[in-house]
Amino acid sequence: MVGVTEVYNTLWIGLIFMVLGLPLTLSYRTTGIINFVHINFITIGAYVGVLLSLLGVKNIFMVALVAFIVGAAIAVFDNIAVFKPLSRRGANVVILMVASLGLWIFYKYFLYAIVDLIGKAVKENLVSVILELDILPTINLGGIVVDGKFLTTLTLAVIVVLFYYLVLTKTSIGKAIRAVSDNSQLAEISGIPRDHVVNFMWAMTGGAAAIGGLLWGIFAIVTPEVGDWLILEIFAVAVIGGLSSLLNTAIGAFIIAGAENIVMAALHETFGLPLSFRPFITFLVLVIVILVKPPLGAGGGLPYRFFKPRKR
Amino acid sequence: MEAYPIGSLNPGRGDEDMVEFNVLGFLIDWSTFFAIYAILAISLNLEIGYTGMANFGKVAFYAIGAYLSAVLTIVTFLTIFGVSAPLYSVDAVIALGKHGAELPWLNIGLFILSIILSAIVTGVVGYLVTYPTLRVGPAFLGITILSFGEMLRFFLRNYEPLGSTYGLFGVPHPFQWVPDPTVRTGIYALIVLGIMFGVYLYAERLVNSPFGRVLRAIKDDEVAALCLGKHVPRIKATVLFIGSAIAGVAGALYLFYLGSVNPDMFIPRVTFDIWAMVILGGMGNNKGAIAGAAIITFVDRALTFITPSLGLTAYITPDYIRWMTVGLLIVLVLLFKPGGLIPEKPIKTPALEVANKIEEG
Repeated sequence: MVGVTEVYNTLWIGLIFMVLGLPLTLSYRTTGIINFVHINFITIGAYVGVLLSLLGVKNIFMVALVAFIVGAAIAVFDNIAVFKPLSRRGANVVILMVASLGLWIFYKYFLYAIVDLIGKAVKENLVSVILELDILPTINLGGIVVDGKFLTTLTLAVIVVLFYYLVLTKTSIGKAIRAVSDNSQLAEISGIPRDHVVNFMWAMTGGAAAIGGLLWGIFAIVTPEVGDWLILEIFAVAVIGGLSSLLNTAIGAFIIAGAENIVMAALHETFGLPLSFRPFITFLVLVIVILVKPPLGAGGGLPYRFFKPRKR
Repeated sequence: MEAYPIGSLNPGRGDEDMVEFNVLGFLIDWSTFFAIYAILAISLNLEIGYTGMANFGKVAFYAIGAYLSAVLTIVTFLTIFGVSAPLYSVDAVIALGKHGAELPWLNIGLFILSIILSAIVTGVVGYLVTYPTLRVGPAFLGITILSFGEMLRFFLRNYEPLGSTYGLFGVPHPFQWVPDPTVRTGIYALIVLGIMFGVYLYAERLVNSPFGRVLRAIKDDEVAALCLGKHVPRIKATVLFIGSAIAGVAGALYLFYLGSVNPDMFIPRVTFDIWAMVILGGMGNNKGAIAGAAIITFVDRALTFITPSLGLTAYITPDYIRWMTVGLLIVLVLLFKPGGLIPEKPIKTPALEVANKIEEG
């Protein structure tokens, strides 16, 4: 039967999906790029944890900071080297998406090669690792034992979400980001330095996604495929958010986490569906969302509707 | 063959013989792979180059074609020769090996039937899978098909009747009854090249027809095409039907070349390879797609023949370098030569041809 474990896992995975989904929505909304490099941020974030623990740096907050910086650096580099020149030339969303696909493949196998080389150098298997970092201690709240891993995830997720909230609503660069995402030309006309703003946005994106990867690494194991396993879930989360609303994305994270844990457990219980069929449920949710509540006009699509739209 | 001492100045006759044999084997191997990938590249080019739809799950339809043909062939053989064993069992493989060369017409008939059925079934699947996403923009199409492909692979890995992770073995070659393997694979390579040429002619006819002009209109400006009364989603679905059907044919051809099939042949990397071919060759040009397929399969095949002798494996796995290159190639071509090797050309219409004739005098 569906018990405490499923609810607990839903909460835990939902927090991770939230940290991973928010940046995807933000970057899509600001630049219109479906960014496949997001997958690499996840893997790289997890491997930053692995490599730093090899070097002896084990403080989780230290590691998270380094993961943030590495992810941010890669994201900004991508923008300056690839996305900006391409969109300057007037490439459409499809071409930008294909470019990000190329970057994804490149980074993925680059990481494979590095992990392979370092693994041979230190004579350890780095292709599937269990992260061992100094995380927060397990606490006992009047009989309810809260796992230290979960507590760490909760703390870091809250920090990331607070960071997003404060930057986007309270600072001037946050206002600039929102202005660019609403209408980049108008923003530029009103004197907003668009390139700097977009670079800042990419740094936020890559960094937060890398922290999310680190959290996933703490939850599960770390392999160079870890990001690839999460593609479907993360995109489903972002699609539930309509690729525009950060709040809906956060809700979507818990919907997908719930579908993968609570609904899956219920189906397993009643129909005997094997537990490994999780991705099918996520896929079903994705297709249903696209059919019932399509992210209108997103992804360069036409303003088609299957159902009559609500008045704004 | 005799072994020559290291540093021997006399290369000898044996070496030449070996080189000659390798060249023929390499040519047959390469041209089969080239033709199969060229078919896939043409089908992807119809979608991305002419219609502007990003299909990141080409491999799913390729897989469906291969599996369908395998099941059809094995089931027919087992039924005709009265063997009752699961498709993936050793008994079935032994029976297929024993009876594979007995009825030439059965082999050829099944080959033709497989190709036709693969085309129809994959086309319908492509239409159904993409139906929900066509209205919400290219990005969703890409993600949905990408995950569909992965999920199909996942399903095949876990589905016992189709051999789960081991896949299906021992599918008789359509020319199993030809005793000499070189002649057999040679004939097959020629047939695959012929089918590739047919697909090329079909694609050329299609994109130079009025329908092809609508496709380009959709690629350049969807809203404008819609305003001019073209039913954009339906046309996109038609193109996906055609593209998927062609990919299914390629899957059937691949199956009969290898004689076996397993789920891990159809990882997303295959799709990325096809993307690299189309982008390198030039989006929106069928000749470009073929040229891209020729270059990439040639380098790939040559590397598989050469790599073992380089001795690099101690330091780094050559596969990683190869895949990094594919990713980098896509990005660099898009950045520095967006048209590819053979850029898009104007459509050949009858009116344009008449105008050119008048201009020439």
